Amino acid sequence: MSMLLEVSGVSVTFDGFRAINNLSINFAPAELRAIIGPNGAGKTTFMDIVTGKTKPDEGRVIWGDKNISLLGLSESEIVMEGIGRKFQKPTVFEAQTVRQNLAMAVRAPRGPFAVLMHKKARRNAARIEAVAEQIGLSDSLTRIAGQLSHGQKQWLEIGMLLAQEPRLMLVDEPAAGMTPEEREKTTEILKEAAKTCAVVVVEHDMEFVRRLNCKVTVLHEGAVIAEGSLDHVTANQTVIDVYLGRSHA
Amino acid sequence: MQRSFLAQNPSVLWFIACLAIFTAVVTVLSEAMGVGLISTSFVKTLGKTLCLCLIAIAMDVVWGYCGILSLGHFAFFGIGGYAIGMWLMYARTEKIVLESLSGQPIPPTTAEISDAIGNQIFGVVGSSEFPVIWAFADSLFLQLLMVVLVPGLLALVFGWLAFRSRVTGVYLSILTQAMTLALALYLFQNNSGLRGNNGLSGLQNIPGFAHLSQATVSLAFFTASAFALGAGHVFFAWVLSGKMGSVVEGIRDNEARVRFLGYHVESYKLFIFTTTAVVSGIAGALYYPQAGIINPGEIAPIASIYLAVWVAIGGRGRLYGAVIGAAAVSLVSSWFTGGGAPDINFGFYVIQWTDWWLVLLGFSFVAVTLFFPKGIGGLFDLLVRKQS
Amino acid sequence: MFRLFSLALALWLSAPAVAFSQTLQDILQTHQEEVLKPGRRSVGVVLADLMASGLPQALPFLEAWRDREIVQRDSDGLFFRVLAEGDIVTLADLDTGTELQAPDNELTESRPNGGVRRAIGEVLVQFQLSDPDIGKRQAAVDAIARSMDASQLAPLEASIDGEPDPVLKLAKSRLANMLAALFSDTADARIIAIAALSGDLSVDTRAVLNRLLSTTDAVAETLSADVNLARILKVGVDFTPAEGYGRLVTAELAPPLVSNDDIRAALVANVADAQVVDVPVHALGTDAARWLAYDMLVAGGLASPRVKPQEQIDAVAAHVFYAAYTEPEKRVTDAARSALNAIETKVAISQAADLGLDALSLASIYFLAAIGLAITFGVMGVINMAHGEFIMMGAYTGFVVQQFVPDYTLSILIALPLAFVITFGAGVAMERLVIRYLYHRPLETLLATFGVSIALQQLAKNIFGTQARPLTSPGWLDGAWVLNDVIAISYIRIAIFVLALIFLALILFVLKRTRLGLEVRAVTQNPGMAASMGINPDRINMLTFGFGSGIAGIAGVAIGLYAKVTSEMGADYIVQSFMTVVVGGVGNVWGTLAGASLIGFLQKGIEWLNPSNTLAAQTYMILFIILFIQFRPKGIVALKGRAAAD
Repeated sequence: MSMLLEVSGVSVTFDGFRAINNLSINFAPAELRAIIGPNGAGKTTFMDIVTGKTKPDEGRVIWGDKNISLLGLSESEIVMEGIGRKFQKPTVFEAQTVRQNLAMAVRAPRGPFAVLMHKKARRNAARIEAVAEQIGLSDSLTRIAGQLSHGQKQWLEIGMLLAQEPRLMLVDEPAAGMTPEEREKTTEILKEAAKTCAVVVVEHDMEFVRRLNCKVTVLHEGAVIAEGSLDHVTANQTVIDVYLGRSHA
Repeated sequence: MQRSFLAQNPSVLWFIACLAIFTAVVTVLSEAMGVGLISTSFVKTLGKTLCLCLIAIAMDVVWGYCGILSLGHFAFFGIGGYAIGMWLMYARTEKIVLESLSGQPIPPTTAEISDAIGNQIFGVVGSSEFPVIWAFADSLFLQLLMVVLVPGLLALVFGWLAFRSRVTGVYLSILTQAMTLALALYLFQNNSGLRGNNGLSGLQNIPGFAHLSQATVSLAFFTASAFALGAGHVFFAWVLSGKMGSVVEGIRDNEARVRFLGYHVESYKLFIFTTTAVVSGIAGALYYPQAGIINPGEIAPIASIYLAVWVAIGGRGRLYGAVIGAAAVSLVSSWFTGGGAPDINFGFYVIQWTDWWLVLLGFSFVAVTLFFPKGIGGLFDLLVRKQS
Repeated sequence: MFRLFSLALALWLSAPAVAFSQTLQDILQTHQEEVLKPGRRSVGVVLADLMASGLPQALPFLEAWRDREIVQRDSDGLFFRVLAEGDIVTLADLDTGTELQAPDNELTESRPNGGVRRAIGEVLVQFQLSDPDIGKRQAAVDAIARSMDASQLAPLEASIDGEPDPVLKLAKSRLANMLAALFSDTADARIIAIAALSGDLSVDTRAVLNRLLSTTDAVAETLSADVNLARILKVGVDFTPAEGYGRLVTAELAPPLVSNDDIRAALVANVADAQVVDVPVHALGTDAARWLAYDMLVAGGLASPRVKPQEQIDAVAAHVFYAAYTEPEKRVTDAARSALNAIETKVAISQAADLGLDALSLASIYFLAAIGLAITFGVMGVINMAHGEFIMMGAYTGFVVQQFVPDYTLSILIALPLAFVITFGAGVAMERLVIRYLYHRPLETLLATFGVSIALQQLAKNIFGTQARPLTSPGWLDGAWVLNDVIAISYIRIAIFVLALIFLALILFVLKRTRLGLEVRAVTQNPGMAASMGINPDRINMLTFGFGSGIAGIAGVAIGLYAKVTSEMGADYIVQSFMTVVVGGVGNVWGTLAGASLIGFLQKGIEWLNPSNTLAAQTYMILFIILFIQFRPKGIVALKGRAAAD
């Protein structure tokens, strides 16, 4: 099966600290994947590299059917290639309404002049309604995003990803700080999304990962140490040593 | 679409209505209309204030909405003034020269006319040659084009360089300040081709309209300034409505997030920076014929900082706030510095406002940033909230 | 003339060996006629005798004679000096100085003519050059150096051997070499003198060589062989064709051009019935029409013909333009050329060194001005637009202290710590009252501190007035450290350099070796963590801000010492200081040092390339910095990694 994203042999060093060490990892289209690892394992840096925020010292990042290298592209170009990212801290535009937040994210030409001359197309409005429905914020479209609860902000941000119609979603700790009901709902949203595009979830919470019920990749010191189902990786002795062992202690 | 836009933004309609009434009242009461309750010099002051309000709107867009604290927009204002000033000065001098040469026994050649004009204009800096930048000075149309093009191009090049290398926040402010300082220092040189620190003068005399009284000319410029302010307000309100506004405000609040939504943030900043620079240039082109003189001191970085202060006092992120701030501070400032405010006598020391006004102004910046971060415009929010 | 001096010299040198027991008056009486009506030739004898006498009173007599103050009493033929004119003239005895009086009409004035007076002057110089008082000898040498007259060569050379003071002896022989290079009789003597001058960097030596090498531009149909040619000048390289033709006209090798003004004047002179030779006046508004009409005037013999452009070019091409040395002797100019080249190489090296020192001192000023800002801006992320006004406060502190403490050394010693204390206090006050409420709104800090800045500036203006106030440096800081004739650096600048070094060391020490520095760095890197470890970030911020402001105050005293103290002096440094911090890289003392050095050297470099225009230099420097930021947005010393991304 051809891969959606191939990361191979990537390394990056910050002031002598090797954050990513010869990392290789692949994602198929329409796949749900969880990435776990202790603090400093390089999860966030991995996302930074894929989304163009950080340039690696070496290695390749190949994207899509046309095998484009993402390393030469800017952040916004990478987004337009179809890679969406949700940050660890919920970052929605708090001064604007939910609808404005989603409208900005809806897949449409992104150039200043296209945006300036932008007219409210029926298709876009429908898309916004659909996404709002999916994330359970249909009733809140006119509310200011800053007034939403923490969980709702997380969903709004996931909704903004969905509105972009990406082919790959990178989601950083979506369930952090959520109530059990909210987690349930988040799981549903992500599983639903994974039907149409690849979803990569970085998460600390084992319970949440178990609920996602998907392939798991374990990162440690900037490299993959295990991959497979959650049960498979939790049985791996290396993983127990570096990560689970410590977290249980 | 236009209708729905205005319907969605009632404050724009209110603003236009107030501006129209104000313009009408001033027109009726001005000397040009025979009533004379408002003196010509005050009409000029009001017209200049309207131009300052226009550049304040531009500043509000670039700072209040887009989050770029530019300390260079007064440079664009000055460039606009210089561009129109070059034509005004050239055309007027040409007229004078032609008149003085018409008494000659044989008609002058073009070279003789050009030499004589050059002597008149550049004699003060010890030159008579026309610098290259005056190539279009004889054409009003081309100079009007310069009013728009030169600030626009400068903003485009500078903004491209600065935004491309991701200079943001305070760094960007300092960089824009440096640009302004460089421009001012350049213009201070006698060989800059713009008469060094003498600047351009006599701009209040509009060639071709010598038969009109200053009262009429002032009123015309006042009306033009009011029109420009109204148009500028509507234009920016339109630009900032809808998705563009969302993106621009998004850049202000979280630049990285907008970038990860797939927007090329630099293009947007460049668009806003350049557009506001052009509007600043237009405001300058309307201001300086009313002021009569422009010199490099006007462009000094401090002017741009004042501009930011007006916007801060008026209230950022709302266009009418910028207008209120610019109008209030510049009018109050001219009242204090013009000796309008009564001195305060403590017996042992007399506070003369011409000396102490800047001290008061300085501390009021501090007070406004500390206690009224929303500025005067914030008071409107309080009123609206009380009503609802 | 030279012979005259040889004679005088010989007599003078032999004078001590011969004992005379005569008065000045005696000598004068033997030459009554020559003293009363001196001629260019006859005066030599008198002078020779006077020299030979070795009498001390001969010198004042010669001065008086030269100044036409000598009279003869008709009754007995004795000579006196006039002290006061009038109907009754006050006279002084030439030997004893005794005053006496005589009616004006009984005296005859001695009136030496110009030539005689010059001869007297030459002898006087020789007297002075050999005067027992070193001050007078020095003065004589200085006078010769000023006038650089050929006549002084011989007495100067003659006095070298007898000069007891080694320094003055050196100066004399140097000066003699210069005079010899210019005026010696033979080319060989001059070449030897020129060779002796090479290696001397002084301005006057270079002036002498340049004088020898001075050229005049000339033009001729063919180059004559007796011209000492400097070089051939080429059209288009050394001068424009129009200038070339102008030179031909000046040399009367070509007819003068008929200028457009001439044409116009000729046409105006020939206007008749609104026509100039059949051409209507109103049609004369173009050059082409005027030329046509003028050519018609020429045809009618009413004007001299125009020189056509092609004729100009041909005329220029037909002549040779060259620069010729005014000095005819080629061997001399060659020697001077090679000596000057050798000197100029050395001068260039020295100038580069001097420029480097200049730049270094400028860099230390920028460093001093910026380091306080770097601390507040870099370490705390706070923009202090009032930093320049803290510099000004420091300078005014120095000024006020000098009003109370007249001893300059003491007053500076008091002013430095006092300025620190005052600006430290001002900084702490500002941090407590304004900045701590704005830590998360950096752009608003900029505005608020700008408000403080204009208020402080205006306050200073209200208190001290608008005129510049002097801050006088102690006497031991006056003057300069002179390395050679080109390299000189004033002591004040050295002091500022030393002060900058001290501050660099002090700041590094405080930040790296003290508890306060540790806490500052902790708060900078992670305020939350620092707070949880018992460090009070409020206190640290306050102290850091005070410290940064205090350094600004000290910088103010230092800057005030070499620049004027005005209420606007802070504004002059604020942009440069920001540039220094930004270029250097935020949050790093070494970065500020690098930034200050780069900006200091750059500014001096640009000024050197374009010395006439400091405004342009500043403009170009700012443009350079804007471009520099493009390539290193984080400055020279950039923090890397995740910390920098925030």
